Amino acid sequence: MRIVVAEARAPFVRDGADLHAESLVAQLRLRGHDAESVTLPFNGRKNELLEQACAWRMLNLSTSNARPIDVLIATRFPTWFARHPRKVVWLIHQHRAAYELFGTPYSDFTDSESDIQLRERIAVLDSRMFAECERIVTNSRNTAKRIEHFNGVSARPVYHPPPLAGRLRDGGYGNYMLVVARLEPLKRIDLVIRAIARVASPVRLVIVGDGSLRTKLERETAALNLGHRVTFAGPLWGDPVADLYAGALGVIYAPFDEDYGYVTLEAFLAAKPVITTTDAGGPLEFVRDGDNGLVCEPEAASLAAAIDKLAADRALAERLGRAGRQVAGTITWDGVIEQLLG
Amino acid sequence: MTPLRILILEAQVPFVHGGAEILVRELASALEVHGHHAQVVSVPFTDSPKEEILAGAEAWRLLDVTCAGGGSIDLVIATKFPTYFARHPRKVLWLVHQHRAAYELAGTRFSDFSHTPRDIALRRRLIEADSRMLRECVGHFTIARTVSDRMLRYNGIASEALYNPPKLAGRLAAGPYGDYVLTVTRLEHVKRVDLAIDTFQKATSGMRLLIAGEGSIRHDLAEHIERLGLSDRVTLLGRVDDDRLVELYAGCRAVLFAPYQEDYGYVTLEAFLSRKPVITAHDSGGTLEFVVDDVNGYVCDPTPDALAMAVNRLSADAALAASLGERGHAVAANITWDNVVERLTEAGSRTHRVRPAQPCA
Repeated sequence: MRIVVAEARAPFVRDGADLHAESLVAQLRLRGHDAESVTLPFNGRKNELLEQACAWRMLNLSTSNARPIDVLIATRFPTWFARHPRKVVWLIHQHRAAYELFGTPYSDFTDSESDIQLRERIAVLDSRMFAECERIVTNSRNTAKRIEHFNGVSARPVYHPPPLAGRLRDGGYGNYMLVVARLEPLKRIDLVIRAIARVASPVRLVIVGDGSLRTKLERETAALNLGHRVTFAGPLWGDPVADLYAGALGVIYAPFDEDYGYVTLEAFLAAKPVITTTDAGGPLEFVRDGDNGLVCEPEAASLAAAIDKLAADRALAERLGRAGRQVAGTITWDGVIEQLLG
Repeated sequence: MTPLRILILEAQVPFVHGGAEILVRELASALEVHGHHAQVVSVPFTDSPKEEILAGAEAWRLLDVTCAGGGSIDLVIATKFPTYFARHPRKVLWLVHQHRAAYELAGTRFSDFSHTPRDIALRRRLIEADSRMLRECVGHFTIARTVSDRMLRYNGIASEALYNPPKLAGRLAAGPYGDYVLTVTRLEHVKRVDLAIDTFQKATSGMRLLIAGEGSIRHDLAEHIERLGLSDRVTLLGRVDDDRLVELYAGCRAVLFAPYQEDYGYVTLEAFLSRKPVITAHDSGGTLEFVVDDVNGYVCDPTPDALAMAVNRLSADAALAASLGERGHAVAANITWDNVVERLTEAGSRTHRVRPAQPCA
């Protein structure tokens, strides 16, 4: 089949959702489909959200160069506004600031009259677009719950392997905890740094990723006199990240209400336990406390205790990590593509 | 110059890959080499049914590209229709082409626009909207003079042709002036490969013709060669990889390239960078922007007899081929990405600095 995967892409920013769409295109091609991604730039600014949705609506993607396109797979807001007779949504996320993030510090929507109207408008338009779609699945149970709650759409989660899947391996349980995340507020790296300040054992922290908070986080680290224990490795991709996963004692992943989160599965594929929090969202679909990781309160003291526990007992880290690998091993691309194309 | 954050605007036709895509990516790398931060922004474009063309243009108009990644964008570079519909105070045009079916191709078999009132009205709207959007640009460049001529004729907007080097530029070099003439082309009617073949029926010298490239009329051309009894002198090589192509350029006596009304044509520049003369025709379009008769090649009537005379002359005199090729090299060596980058960024910085209506972060 000729399939286009629709992505909204922010120039100069690379994130999990870009990888998600790229992997889907690659996997469709591996299975003999003629697949390509189509994009529109998206900047997430509140006053332009409707214009950006409208731009997608202008696009009739039922043909290209006078030949039909069989299926359009939409991924995140506002890609499902595109026109196509056979639209399938594989929901990564809606415009979160207008939905579940509203009322938290992570949303730029206020309770002003105009913002309330804009949120309602987005929800109404989203619902109308979803009604046009042939089928809707989500990337996680968390996103499925949200679309059910806000748009009354019931959709099943379809899990997919993380982009690093083929490269990850277990290389023992070293002396550092690993964080892999964009350095943005929702990822709560500050919380992890404060936790390390309270850790008694001589465990270091390695942080992979870049983002708008980098300077601020580095300053906080210095202020806490943690320069010798915390390493900002910057933005890394591919094998260098797999190597860091391989040698870590465990992985800390404590975002606020994450949709899905590749990090959990990447950690598991490297046989590493995951320390996460009770409000982390997506990671909780996989992490079971004491089973394949440790689930803490979103507080520095609670996270610190979990880190100390792993540092004191490497056999525990290994047992949890191996159990995690079992979970992650069952998630395959074949399953995803079957669910999408039916 | 201080590093700029630049977006290059691209119209993507899903499942179709061509020269414009390479051009845009090479421009992005060239900008990065100059220390700028450049990213390509693609939006899918579809022209069927043709009523969707204006909707596609409207999509670009709706995009505010003054902000990206939490910072302001200093400059955008528009390339094809309808990328120049995007809104940005520093929009510089480097035009690859407009929607040709609505312009010079209208009424020909290459266009789906006919002389119905509906089509005429749509064409008029498109051309009017184009003119308005093109006038918003703070600098007007095109990839070739043919493209500039069209924009002047239809939209009344003057521009400068800003040439870019071919993709193989860094790798091409002269070798011996051997015993074959080279043609590099897709095997399509408009490239007039049959004319090149017929030329070798007339050429008296022992020169061979090697034709590198693939296309829809390969079979017909193979039969044509057979029929003329030229199988021992004319060879269809099919598609060749870059290494082989560099070798073929290096070892040929001259390059024969006589298409009908080519836009730009990298082949001319590739030949010159290999220090080989180019034999072309009066009606070949883009090649004539570089080939000067008797200076760096020959510009002939588009007939086998006329082209054969040029082939004969070069086959009799390898030193002549070398000296013409040398002068061709001087022309092509002036065409650099450095120049493209400087002109485009300069044009963008002539206007005031960008201040988005609202802060980007």
